[in-house]
Amino acid sequence: MLKKSVSVRLEKVTKTFVDPHSKKDVHAVREADFTIEPGELVTLLGPSGCGKTTTLRMVAGFELPTSGKIFIGDEDITFLPPNRRDKAMVFQSYGLFPHMSVFENVAYGLKLRKVEAAEISRRVNETLALVGLAELGNRPPGRLSGGQQQRVALARALIVEPSVLLLDEPLSNLDALLREQMRVEIRRIQKSLGITALYVTHDRTEAMSLSDRVIVMNAGAVVQIGSPHEIYQDPVDAFVAGFIGKVTFFPGTVVEVDRGCTVSLKGRTMTVPRFAEGLKPDQACSVMCRPESLRLEEPGSGFLDGRVVTNVYLGHSVESYVDTPEGEILVQVDNPMARRVFAEGEAVSVSFVPEYTKIFPEEGSDR
Amino acid sequence: MFARRKVMVFGLICLLFLIADLWIYHTLDKAFVNLADSQVRETAGAALEAVPSGDEAVSNWLERLEQGNGHFFLLYTRGIHGLDPDVTVFSKNADLLAFFESKKNTPGFLKAFENATYDEITRLSDRIVIGGTPRTLLVVPATDPATGETVGIGLFAFDTSATDAYSRLLAVLAIGAAVVFLAILAAGQFTRDPVQTYAILALFAITGTFVAYPLFEAARLSFVQDGHFTLDTWKTILTTRQYVSALKGSLELGFVTATLSTLVGFLFAFTVTRTSVPFKKFFSAMATLPVVSPPFSLTLSIILLFGNNGLVTKQMLGLENFNIYGLWGLSLVQTMGMFPIAFLTLVGILEAIDSTLEDAALDLSATRWETFKTVTLPLATPGILSAWLLVFTTSLADFANPLLLSGDFRVLSVESYLEVTGMNRLGNGAALSLLLLLPTLIAFLSQRFWVSRKSVVTVTGKPSARLTELASPRTRTALLLAMSLITLFLFSLYGTILAGCFVKNWGIDYTFTLANFREALQRGRDALSDTVLLAAAATPIAGILAMAAAMLIARKTFIGKRLLELLIMTPFALPGTLVGISYILAFNKPPLLLVGTAAIIVINYAIRELPVGVEGGIASLKQIDPAIEEAAADLGADTPTVFRTIVLPLVRPAFISSLSYTFVRSMTAVSAVIFLISARWYHLTVLIYNFSESLRFGLASVLALTLIVIVFATFGIMRLLVRKNVYLEKTVG
Ligand SMILES: Nc1ncnc2c1ncn2[C@@H]1O[C@H](COP(=O)(O)OP(=O)(O)OP(=O)(O)O)[C@@H](O)[C@H]1O
Ligand SMILES: [Mg+2]
Repeated sequence: MLKKSVSVRLEKVTKTFVDPHSKKDVHAVREADFTIEPGELVTLLGPSGCGKTTTLRMVAGFELPTSGKIFIGDEDITFLPPNRRDKAMVFQSYGLFPHMSVFENVAYGLKLRKVEAAEISRRVNETLALVGLAELGNRPPGRLSGGQQQRVALARALIVEPSVLLLDEPLSNLDALLREQMRVEIRRIQKSLGITALYVTHDRTEAMSLSDRVIVMNAGAVVQIGSPHEIYQDPVDAFVAGFIGKVTFFPGTVVEVDRGCTVSLKGRTMTVPRFAEGLKPDQACSVMCRPESLRLEEPGSGFLDGRVVTNVYLGHSVESYVDTPEGEILVQVDNPMARRVFAEGEAVSVSFVPEYTKIFPEEGSDR
Repeated sequence: MFARRKVMVFGLICLLFLIADLWIYHTLDKAFVNLADSQVRETAGAALEAVPSGDEAVSNWLERLEQGNGHFFLLYTRGIHGLDPDVTVFSKNADLLAFFESKKNTPGFLKAFENATYDEITRLSDRIVIGGTPRTLLVVPATDPATGETVGIGLFAFDTSATDAYSRLLAVLAIGAAVVFLAILAAGQFTRDPVQTYAILALFAITGTFVAYPLFEAARLSFVQDGHFTLDTWKTILTTRQYVSALKGSLELGFVTATLSTLVGFLFAFTVTRTSVPFKKFFSAMATLPVVSPPFSLTLSIILLFGNNGLVTKQMLGLENFNIYGLWGLSLVQTMGMFPIAFLTLVGILEAIDSTLEDAALDLSATRWETFKTVTLPLATPGILSAWLLVFTTSLADFANPLLLSGDFRVLSVESYLEVTGMNRLGNGAALSLLLLLPTLIAFLSQRFWVSRKSVVTVTGKPSARLTELASPRTRTALLLAMSLITLFLFSLYGTILAGCFVKNWGIDYTFTLANFREALQRGRDALSDTVLLAAAATPIAGILAMAAAMLIARKTFIGKRLLELLIMTPFALPGTLVGISYILAFNKPPLLLVGTAAIIVINYAIRELPVGVEGGIASLKQIDPAIEEAAADLGADTPTVFRTIVLPLVRPAFISSLSYTFVRSMTAVSAVIFLISARWYHLTVLIYNFSESLRFGLASVLALTLIVIVFATFGIMRLLVRKNVYLEKTVG
């Protein structure tokens, strides 16, 4: 039953739409070039309108690339019509067949593959049970809740055992709890069947928790590809850093670039092991800090003095918003039971450990 | 997609096919031409076997020959020009003689004469036109049977137009086969979805052949005489009193009908949407009823009531010289038949106007009348204009009512019919019906670009259930009274048809009888079964075609989509008479010799009802999430499967109503089909017309009633079918 896992490869894929009203070109995807390894789950992450859906639809065959090639395994499928590609897609809007029952919806792909009726019935019931809808086979999809419809769409795609699974924000309409459950379920099925999956989302937690690798897109271009860990800790630029998590930038100046990058910041110098390429001495730069890598200390001992404005208590951590001459800074204090939490209104000083930061050239970005 | 190998394979197959195609064409053509040629030579040789000697005798002989044989002219020379010293020329045909005299010294002729001395027949490369037909020339020796010497020459001018026509047909077929084959091959090789490409090509072929080509032929005929471009036809049309008055008549009638219909339609629509009178459902139903009444039915009852022997005019009022025929009678019938069009348009518009606007006006202490005048009416004005234009064009295109009721009053549609069928002046008929298209086009364009742009109605998507009473009690009573009177009149019209079925001889002998039924159904049986059969054949074709076209237009992008849309939608704006005339012009010659067959009628039905079906299909597809179809394709369904298992079931209501609409419209067609019927394939509506013309009103009534019953039964069945819909109730999308 297990098929051989296949890879998906995009070679310099570009898609340019012509806006029907202004007749201007819209560059939806620019030279996307990446490979999804067999059995891997990769998420496409990026802000709205950055070309995620377009990329997915080109892999599915609903859009033709303006240029470039797409491969599934070794086969060039760029011009193959959607119905002849070995893949299944879960649509953002479900696309359930309203004139068929849940059972018929799920059975549709098997019927097209001329599977025997008894076999169909067995497999549909199996799959429905897998997504927790065993009882609902006879309902029309219009009489299901959003989460149930979502799971029908998933079952319908999974039952044909595609080599490649494409998911377009499949969980965006679910409540938080159900979303978490489904996320786990999708991951489990994908792994157990060895399906190669491309998963579109603009929810960074979803991307982090689900994927083997994350592809971050911005304005049609792929900005970074890497494991969730890499993307979070070693973003290639300020955009990725800001998009993937909360971040603070401190302005400084490059002193020397060697194996580490030495910067001067508020009159102190320090050497940071991670830094962007192309930095030169005397160049203005910014030091990226995640909230959890910042520390609050007694006034005068850190880089920057300020005053706590608000504390947000989250259980496992406390988020302290600190007003400083550089603007408001978010500091996350983990394990508040074991650490000192400065009260609102108290004077504090912010500091950080250079090993947990990264240097970028100054581009005015301070997200 | 355009890989080098694919292109080369394609080129090679193309080349092979073209060679084979050309070879077959050449062989067939040559074989036939040779056959025809040897026949001609034989005839010519036989004719010259026994040439008499005396001048008088030769002359008589020539006359006999040409009389006995229609397809050649003959010039005979005793002696051979250029070889013999004295040559006597005999000919009954001045054209041929003149041609001979002018050409006899050309090298071609001299060579042919020389050949004749060796007893050889020569076909000349020159051709001659006699009496409008081009003819082939043959130089044939006449031999003295005793000596075997050539004593004279016959110059034959044979009519070979039949052979030429055959060659042309063969060429058309060969080219057609090549085009079709190459298109299919190219689509299969170079497009992602060959089926879709075939469907698009097929639609282009269908609409090109049955929409664009006939129209082109009609336009061509109005500009071309004897193979020359000329404006004569149009000059005649625009200067002859009779035709100009027909144009004026059409416009007058359209104007009066449109105005009256809009008034009546607004009366009903306003009362139904803006006041609180009782029986609104009933009045709405009554105001839509005439839409489906078959042609001739309302006219018939008007004649029965107000005609020369009318029940009201003659029997009840005793009027001797009352004349219902003409502008006013026609306006009355058309208004009764067409105000539903205005009503439906206006109800839509009035319902879309948010009545909170009126509330606001009333709130600012405007009176009801002021509110109506300053808020309701201005907001509804674009709607009123489009209703007016819609009725105006419908009235212009109307054919059935004026045919029976126009009397001395002339309108374009009937005039063009009479030109074509009565006078056999096809060119004039085509020009007149094209003239009819002009106001329609202007009305359509002004609707498209002017009225719709002025429209300020916004559909809010939350129709308020509340309703502002805009009429005082007294106004309400007046409105109710007016509606009741009109409804009553409508009822009496239908009642008259019913009564007409059971009366022996309307106007003279009102005794009850059932004989009409027997006779009408007996004489109309063939026509009835033809009509049902043809309509039933057209229905699924139009339905499937419409939904497929709707899917392509709503969902796919392809080159030439706008053009295809235009071609599909055009028949909607074409008056039936124009369609009918252009069809007999286009399809009375090979390779599409369809006049007289059932096919041309079925095609005509399908093409004419296509636009409405396509519109309906597109509208319902627009409400369906494209992801549904994509999901099906994603799971492995090819385009035909998506169409069959997803699109058709989803647009089922639109599909069924398109089917029943096509069926009903085909059953009640008249304006185009009256040109296309033949002795073999007759249409019920034309039979109704014939019975009415010969004053057999009883028979006409029975047939009209039959049609009404069929129409209502169809719509009833449609309703039942559309309702039975478990899943689709509110879940699309
Ligand atoms: N058919 C189309 N015609 C013209 N422009 C299009 C078309 N489809 C998408 N675009 C444009 O291409 C860009 C990328 O669109 P896409 O749907 O891929 O974004 P996305 O990353 O999926 O966004 P979201 O997260 O909001 O779904 C957008 O600017 C969009 O407006
Ligand atoms: Mg998207």
